[in-house]
Amino acid sequence: MRKFFSSPTAVVGTLLLAIVLFAALFGPLVAPFDPQEFHPVARLQGPSATYWLGTDQFGRDLLSRVLNGAPATVAFGLFATAIGVGIGSVIGVIAGVSGGWVDSTIMRILDGLLAVPDLLFTLLIVTVLGGGMEHALLAVAIAFTPGMARIARSAVLSVRTRDYVRAAVARGESGFYIVTFEVLPNALSPIVVESTIRVSFAIMIGATLGFLGLGAQPPSTEWGLMVAEARQFMFRNPWCVAIPGLSIAMAALGFNLFGDALRDALDPRRSH
Amino acid sequence: MTVSLAPVATDANSSTEKPALVIRNYSLSYRTDNGLVSALKNIDLTIGKGQTVGLVGESGSGKSSMAWSVMRYLPPNAVETGGAIRLAGEEMLDFSPRQMADIRGSRMSMVFQDPSTSLNPTIRIGEQIAEVLMRHRGLTKIEAYAYAEAALARTGITRPKEMLGRYPHEASGGEKQRVVIATAFACEPELIIFDEPTTALDILTARQILDLFNQLREETNVSALYISHDLGLVSRVVDEVSVIHKGVIVESGPVQDVFRRPKADYTRQLIGAVPNPDRWIGVDAPAVPETLVKLDDVGVRYGAPTKLQKLFWPKDSETTGFWGAKGVNIDIRKGELLGVVGESGSGKSTIAKVLAGLQDFEGRLEFAGKTFANRKDIDRAYRRRVQLVFQHPDASLNPRQRIGTIIGRPLKLYGVVPADKVAARVAELLEMVRLPADYAKRYPHQLSGGEKQRVAIARAFAAEPDLVICDEVTAALDVSVQAAVAELLVKLQKDTGTACVFITHDLNLIRQLAHRIAVMHHGKLVDFFDRPDARSDDRDAYTKALLDAVPVPEAAIA
Repeated sequence: MRKFFSSPTAVVGTLLLAIVLFAALFGPLVAPFDPQEFHPVARLQGPSATYWLGTDQFGRDLLSRVLNGAPATVAFGLFATAIGVGIGSVIGVIAGVSGGWVDSTIMRILDGLLAVPDLLFTLLIVTVLGGGMEHALLAVAIAFTPGMARIARSAVLSVRTRDYVRAAVARGESGFYIVTFEVLPNALSPIVVESTIRVSFAIMIGATLGFLGLGAQPPSTEWGLMVAEARQFMFRNPWCVAIPGLSIAMAALGFNLFGDALRDALDPRRSH
Repeated sequence: MTVSLAPVATDANSSTEKPALVIRNYSLSYRTDNGLVSALKNIDLTIGKGQTVGLVGESGSGKSSMAWSVMRYLPPNAVETGGAIRLAGEEMLDFSPRQMADIRGSRMSMVFQDPSTSLNPTIRIGEQIAEVLMRHRGLTKIEAYAYAEAALARTGITRPKEMLGRYPHEASGGEKQRVVIATAFACEPELIIFDEPTTALDILTARQILDLFNQLREETNVSALYISHDLGLVSRVVDEVSVIHKGVIVESGPVQDVFRRPKADYTRQLIGAVPNPDRWIGVDAPAVPETLVKLDDVGVRYGAPTKLQKLFWPKDSETTGFWGAKGVNIDIRKGELLGVVGESGSGKSTIAKVLAGLQDFEGRLEFAGKTFANRKDIDRAYRRRVQLVFQHPDASLNPRQRIGTIIGRPLKLYGVVPADKVAARVAELLEMVRLPADYAKRYPHQLSGGEKQRVAIARAFAAEPDLVICDEVTAALDVSVQAAVAELLVKLQKDTGTACVFITHDLNLIRQLAHRIAVMHHGKLVDFFDRPDARSDDRDAYTKALLDAVPVPEAAIA
């Protein structure tokens, strides 16, 4: 553990992640104002003693809105990643373990899907499914599946030829035992690390969809949507774009750095 | 100061008086997470002009740290805690990195263990030798190439000019090591460090490299530090030897004295552990030979043609792929220990994989009255009765399972003992392989290499098999551990009556253990004989070459 925190990446990542998770868990409770309460006399203000981070075009307190939006934004990232990793890992493990033509078929289809950029792919799915938070979440999960399947497959492939797996084959173990007890526990760490990093992408794509009006709908306090709504007033009060924008950046950076540090700590080839 | 960089000839007189290398009271530690870890303690070592000194020790003894200290190429976490290293009287600890860069390659050079990683694969061999000559002796490119050709010719490479134009992957392992040696000798250095130069080579090539080393040493009168774990080999090439154990030199002196009259306990233990082909430690041969397993014309073809290839290109399909083993006929008798010997790539591990049911094969495998014609036919009864122990204990134990789970698995899988007796049986098995019973709670990474191999052996014997295949089980272990593992195997065989196929490249070891020996070469079984007939005249020429190439330690001869 001490080794994990010896790198600056890990310290900064953990710190940012702690702030973001605190906001996600307790944000609505500690927010000083109701996020939907209008203050007509204090519109588009900069930070002040009353409104710590300023107000938006309706005089709503930005700090309260960001804190209230945290659970939705972070949960979106986590759930989208969890679903994507789940489906992707199952496909990847199947491909890696079966090998031969099953593997080739699955991987060629995934290669085709991987050629489409994540955001474009998500937009395509949202267009088909229709807007809204749930659909956006599903779209991000589906978009993540091919990449995760690829990582899960390569993790399985590297373990599959190890001697302890061959020993299990030589003992006459069932395929189920070999996959669940010999292969998976050893293939797990790259998958865990990759999913931590992916949460940051999910948050960013979720925010982008919100910004484009395809994700959360007003008066939601989702961060991407907040940026979109405040865009027209950007030049009169840059704070109302900067605050939700910085929040997104902080959450994404936190997960990303934490994931990087986790990879360095778990990968024996990188640590000495 | 200018004198020291002038050609050796001018100050030949002064340097004959000073030893080539003197190490005095030198200590080295490494900074780690657990604080300073001492690697070398108060090392004293002197290499006289034209002398070769051997440094012998097991893995982790600090012998490689010593080599890097002399080369002044230590990792950033190394801390030198005192002492002196003098090259021909000059204190090297005071040299700047820049000065050292001039000294390395010209006055001091190094030959590494694995020639395939010490040559740059993207640069032609000629350029790699010429670079050293141009850098340190200021030759022009043409002169350097001419000199490089001569240097290669001196190392016994038959067509040196052709070799200069080749890339490393176009040369064999032995040729590559000759190139590395030629490069090391190129600038006529005062000192050459050999770090296990033959360990990565097969027996016959290693023998040739040793002969070459002896020849070059006589021709050039160079001083050398020869680092090795192999006592038998060191006794052939060095004048004096130092035995290093846990960073301390426990004994040093002329090679004959140290090996014939070892003073330190550790040296005695090390010499005792070296396999001696004349000291039989195996079990008694079974009285009535009874066949247990029979390989009948078994062949394995890697990269075999696919159905599509056979259909459309029937002619090509006959030549595609590569025979890992071909036409192998071996019978294994009940209760015996059969040795399979061969160089790397000879097909001995392929046979192990066929026997363990891990490799598709052609031909027939007979076991207890049943015949299997391919891998998929092999049933669970066979898999229970034939167990495999792998070469690398680090890789053959699942790092995420506890030792108890690992050894207990065959017990549960085959229902050897009732579920509530598994833990007790695991403890028994651990005791059988001389490990404490509380090791069951540990993970593999908490064990040493030898202990891990014992666990792997315990797992194999847990199934109460009729045959255990040991695929180079001692190759990754130190000499002393190796001897203990071999003895353990023999003891288990005595207790259980299990037959054993022992695959190895170490002829001395196998002649201590095996009742019969099969010799493999290029995928074919070239010889198959009873142990006492090893030296008889009707042995295959290849077997004879192998037997002659193996260095028998001085102590064993005496």
